[in-house]
Amino acid sequence: MMTAAIEYFQFVLAPQILIGLVLGVAVILVALGLTIIFGLLDVINMSHGEFYALGAFIALALASVGLPFWLLLLLVPLIMLPVGYIVERGLIQRVFHSGERHVTTLLLTFGLGLVMEDAFRLVFGPNPQKPPVPIAGAIDVFGVFLPLYRLFLILGGAAVVALVALVVYRTRLGAMVRAAAFDRHMAASLGVPVQHVYAGAFAFGVALAGLAGVMLAPIYSVFPTMGRDFILMAFTVVIVGGMGSIAGVVVAGLLLTQVQAISSLYISPVWSDPIVFGIMVIMLMVRPQGLFGRLGHG
Amino acid sequence: MADALTRSMRASHVLAAVLVVASLGFAAFGAASGDTFYLRLGTEALIFAGLALSVDILLGYTGLLSLGQALYFGLGAYLSALVLMVTPSFWAAMGATAIGAVVVGTIGGFIANRVRGVYFALITFGMAQVIAKVVYNTRALGASDGLIGVPVIDINLGLFKISSASPVGFFLVVLTFIIILYALAAYLLDTPFGRLLIALRANERRVPFLGYRTVTARLAAYVIAAVIAALSGALYPMLRGFVSPELLFFATSGNAVITVVTGGVGTLVGALYGSILLTLFKSVVGSYTEHHLIVIGLLFMGAVIFLPRGLMGIVRPVIERRLNRGAKS
Repeated sequence: MMTAAIEYFQFVLAPQILIGLVLGVAVILVALGLTIIFGLLDVINMSHGEFYALGAFIALALASVGLPFWLLLLLVPLIMLPVGYIVERGLIQRVFHSGERHVTTLLLTFGLGLVMEDAFRLVFGPNPQKPPVPIAGAIDVFGVFLPLYRLFLILGGAAVVALVALVVYRTRLGAMVRAAAFDRHMAASLGVPVQHVYAGAFAFGVALAGLAGVMLAPIYSVFPTMGRDFILMAFTVVIVGGMGSIAGVVVAGLLLTQVQAISSLYISPVWSDPIVFGIMVIMLMVRPQGLFGRLGHG
Repeated sequence: MADALTRSMRASHVLAAVLVVASLGFAAFGAASGDTFYLRLGTEALIFAGLALSVDILLGYTGLLSLGQALYFGLGAYLSALVLMVTPSFWAAMGATAIGAVVVGTIGGFIANRVRGVYFALITFGMAQVIAKVVYNTRALGASDGLIGVPVIDINLGLFKISSASPVGFFLVVLTFIIILYALAAYLLDTPFGRLLIALRANERRVPFLGYRTVTARLAAYVIAAVIAALSGALYPMLRGFVSPELLFFATSGNAVITVVTGGVGTLVGALYGSILLTLFKSVVGSYTEHHLIVIGLLFMGAVIFLPRGLMGIVRPVIERRLNRGAKS
């Protein structure tokens, strides 16, 4: 009886939990940028999935000229920063001050996503490309087979989240960001360059999406519509966790992907999406602000 | 004395009449030259115009952006295909679709109307995605292949019958149907109920103080939009003879939003013109390059930034001034 339970855990439950964990870290990395952009700018970035794909494609292009993967982890987000900055200043600010900001910015980023996706298809072709896995081999964790790269992904993802939280909650820059999110007029009158903080936060969120693209490309491969697979889950995570909350993204991201992974053991995986979505609906009904509050609020 | 809204809707009606005349001319020309391709394309544009109309009711009047209107369009298409495969009757298919849309729309409306603003957009997006995924994986509904082999039907219009296989005949049926939907929507939105919806868009918090229940009004608008989307979708299998899960995908919802925004939000007739122009545009650009999404996406972004009231924002005021001048003299 006892051994049966241990074997069940070792061969059925634990691998599934690990798969869920890798997916969870992936979703958290994508959702992190989304939630920062929403928490600060009040903008739903519909093109976030395409920025994630852009990061992966830039990594692919740079890897093909011989740059090592480890350098790309640093380089790609740095390339994405000015891209995000320009998009915010050049496009989003143009409709940011209209009365229906939510709708107009959502529509604009939706259009941008369409253009980007088709541009990827034009430049890189429609077929999936899989970069080589940077770390070969696997280890045994309590008798569970775990490829090393996935272990790196889990640890690296955790490090990125910790770093972002550190910047937002423990630095002067982060304090400015939170102040601008709480009350932009007050922050502006205290000398916070709100315009640059906004553009910078958007660029930061987009760079995080790009970083996620680099890190996840060896596992999920690179293709023009790759952002779509993640975006619904990422939105769900952001809503359940609380728009603009970093802790919320982590908790909701881990929770929802575990629900998805474990439930697919017992019922058809087709139904795991409705279950996750059902959680989101219930969440919106009982606690619309999500698990945790907004960025800069409490 | 007519107020500003009634006057601008009158201009919309003039534009709708122009559209009908142009469509009749197009149908006559198509019939005379024995064309099939363009008549079918025109029919499809009108069907998707119905979907765009439903998005405009939500966005242009209630101020709610639905990113999942394909859910109801697909619901109508699948229901109609299923009914037609059992009994080839136009009215049975339409009746079943209307009932199904009211039921599903009420459930969906209860869920979606719990929230506002971006949350509404995201929850409608999510609902449609989930249903699309379930249909995509359900064998009984043809899974990824969709439902193939919807029979050609004779549409019984009382005095005479029109076959759905006749390009010009079915074009005229769809034209009539979509114009009826337009007229119905325009009528409803001109009643006190419609004014209530506009009030909701302007300031939802103030409306309850005037003694109106906001929840029922929003739900009613949502269900009406669902029924219009579903009835338009029900025409699709009659035209193409099949339905595919693509009809439920985000691309369909997104296209409807693009149509409304470029055509002109809150004008109703903008949805019709937008759909025709977009279909025409796609087929013209599509004959040069398969990457028409780049062009459409850029045009759409341009419309969002520079033309917040869409194409109708340019055309309609001109007509309106003409009408006013006519009324004064």
